[in-house]
Amino acid sequence: MDFSLTPDQELLRETARKVLERECPPALVRAHIDDAAAYAPLWRHLSEFTPLGAGPATDLCLFLAETGYAAAPGPFLATALFAALTGGDGNAIGTVALVDDPTMRFVLEKDRVERIAFVTPGPGLAVVDADAVTARFVATVDFSRRLFEVEVPQLDARPLAPAEYAHWRDRAHACMAAEMVGTARRIFDMSLSYAKARKQFDVPIGSFQAIQHKLADMSLALERATAAVQYAAMTVDAGDRDRTRAGHVAKAAAGEAARRILKDGIQIHGGIGYTWEHDLHLFLRRATADEYLLGTRGWHLDQLAAALIDG
Amino acid sequence: MQLAWSPEDEAFRVELIEFLDAHTPEQMHTGYDFQDVHDEHDLVPPWLRQWQATLFDHGWMVPGYPPELGGRNCSPVQTLIYLETLASRRLLRSGHFPGYAIVAPSLLEFGNEAQKQLVPAAIRGDTIWCIGMSEPDAGSDLAGLQTRAELRDDHFVVNGQKVWTSYAMIAQKCFCYVRTDPTLPKHKGISLLILDVDSPGIDIRPLRHINGTAGFAEVFFTDVVVPRENLVGGLNGGWAITQGSLAHERAGLWVEGVARFEQTVEGLVQLARAQGRADDPIVRRKIAEGYELAASLRALGYKGFASFAQGSSAPEHSYMKMAMSEASKAAFELGMEIAGPLAPVTDPRLSAATSRFVYGFFMSFANTIAGGSSEIQRNIIAQRVLGLPRA
Repeated sequence: MDFSLTPDQELLRETARKVLERECPPALVRAHIDDAAAYAPLWRHLSEFTPLGAGPATDLCLFLAETGYAAAPGPFLATALFAALTGGDGNAIGTVALVDDPTMRFVLEKDRVERIAFVTPGPGLAVVDADAVTARFVATVDFSRRLFEVEVPQLDARPLAPAEYAHWRDRAHACMAAEMVGTARRIFDMSLSYAKARKQFDVPIGSFQAIQHKLADMSLALERATAAVQYAAMTVDAGDRDRTRAGHVAKAAAGEAARRILKDGIQIHGGIGYTWEHDLHLFLRRATADEYLLGTRGWHLDQLAAALIDG
Repeated sequence: MQLAWSPEDEAFRVELIEFLDAHTPEQMHTGYDFQDVHDEHDLVPPWLRQWQATLFDHGWMVPGYPPELGGRNCSPVQTLIYLETLASRRLLRSGHFPGYAIVAPSLLEFGNEAQKQLVPAAIRGDTIWCIGMSEPDAGSDLAGLQTRAELRDDHFVVNGQKVWTSYAMIAQKCFCYVRTDPTLPKHKGISLLILDVDSPGIDIRPLRHINGTAGFAEVFFTDVVVPRENLVGGLNGGWAITQGSLAHERAGLWVEGVARFEQTVEGLVQLARAQGRADDPIVRRKIAEGYELAASLRALGYKGFASFAQGSSAPEHSYMKMAMSEASKAAFELGMEIAGPLAPVTDPRLSAATSRFVYGFFMSFANTIAGGSSEIQRNIIAQRVLGLPRA
């Protein structure tokens, strides 16, 4: 398997980095705490990239790592999940509602999309106008995403081939993991910079072995999760038979990386990281909440165990 | 990014498999485990030496090298395919790694023309090498080594002691790091010498592992005379070679390490079934954790390889040794937990299905120490990969 990026992929990643660095500073994420409309100027730029949702998972996941890094508000991930499920070109702004699914009780960004794709048990698929669906906003620890509890309307669902739905789930797990690893990388980078800059006992705290070993273990968790996401995306694109396990591995590895990095990251920051004024909590909140979207680490490990032991 | 290699590379894999099907010695499939030796004089059995020579003669020993060095000038991707194919079949290339894995690449990079003549026999295994690095007071702090070599006209006189020297009791030659200038800062006064192990003044005492077998030795040097032409690289230029030696050791080892770890996880699944623990939710989750770790580390290894093959440095590989040695320790511990009362049992009437876990658990202590302890690996990651300042 070849992990090297093509020149187009390098360019895509660079472009995503530049756009998000310029258009999604922490100040925007902070403004979004009290003003849901704060995402609008960013969305004018991100909406140009929604066709990625209908393209290869490898490209999409590179982009999602950057939206996660910036903790970008808005319906980019929701639209990508919608496009893959409904087979559109990625231009329709949408979200996905999984009915009676333990891994996805709430619906992402319902107030910012045109269409909602409902997956009913069976599975079946029905796509409806978002305006026709009643929903209540659900406050969470994460200010950057908006979650909703929706009332499931009368649906005229068409059957969804189980294999097709399974393939979508594999892709969705990789996508969710990609964003989550991106956010974990942001917290890691902030912690590493802080360890180099912050002095105590007249030396940078990053010269202490206790801090160095924490950061080494954090970076291992981060790098293996990053690789697991890219591998999962490759298996999805190739239709490889390892793709279901790879999707579970990716989200489970992302969960491990995020949890370790957010806990040790705030520890390295010390008191300053615990303040409202410092930007760290914007990312801690996102990484914490992401664990509970599309399956926790424990849920994904249980799926792997079933495949390994009962399969 | 893509899963499949090119058709030429897949053809390479087919050619290799055909060779292996035709030539793999029967003994390789009879549970022979290189680390499971019980007689220190039979560390490397004759059939295994013959196998290494066969691989060399067919250009399958180090396939990236030219034919005269036991290879076929294959590409880095093909070398990776080679390593993963051997690992998936649990095949060893050799019973003694220092010669082909450390001495050969170091001599090719740093040796003079006469010293390079030693390389083919090192790779073919005709010459068995040991590496004189660690000393009683120079373990993780390798640069603190004290074995002294005094230059007198046309020869060095060596005095001192090495320890944990693998294969010393069967080796013909020793790649030995010595202090040639004690007045210089410690990294700058080290040189590398080639010693004939049967030289007068060399005393080798096998050291038993905690498992009772002797795979390494203490080596004592008393006024050992070494010709000046056996100096590798420049006088006091040894430290740069140590850095290279260990890099060679790590570059390809991760493929085998990941495969072994995956095989351990598969073994855990079978053990859980056999011991009636397959429905235990804690056992299930821990096995899945092992699988998740193995799969993500495999991906990380390949990701590092992509950078390496493009000529960039591959920081990913710095993580692999530490992560796999720690992970396999945990996996063997889980095997013992699943085995329950049978875990510590070595009585062969009872332990056929379980003893590999307690044995592996004991072996795994070595893997987080040898070749750079996990703590030193974390220092290296922190300082060289993450750019944190030294204390």
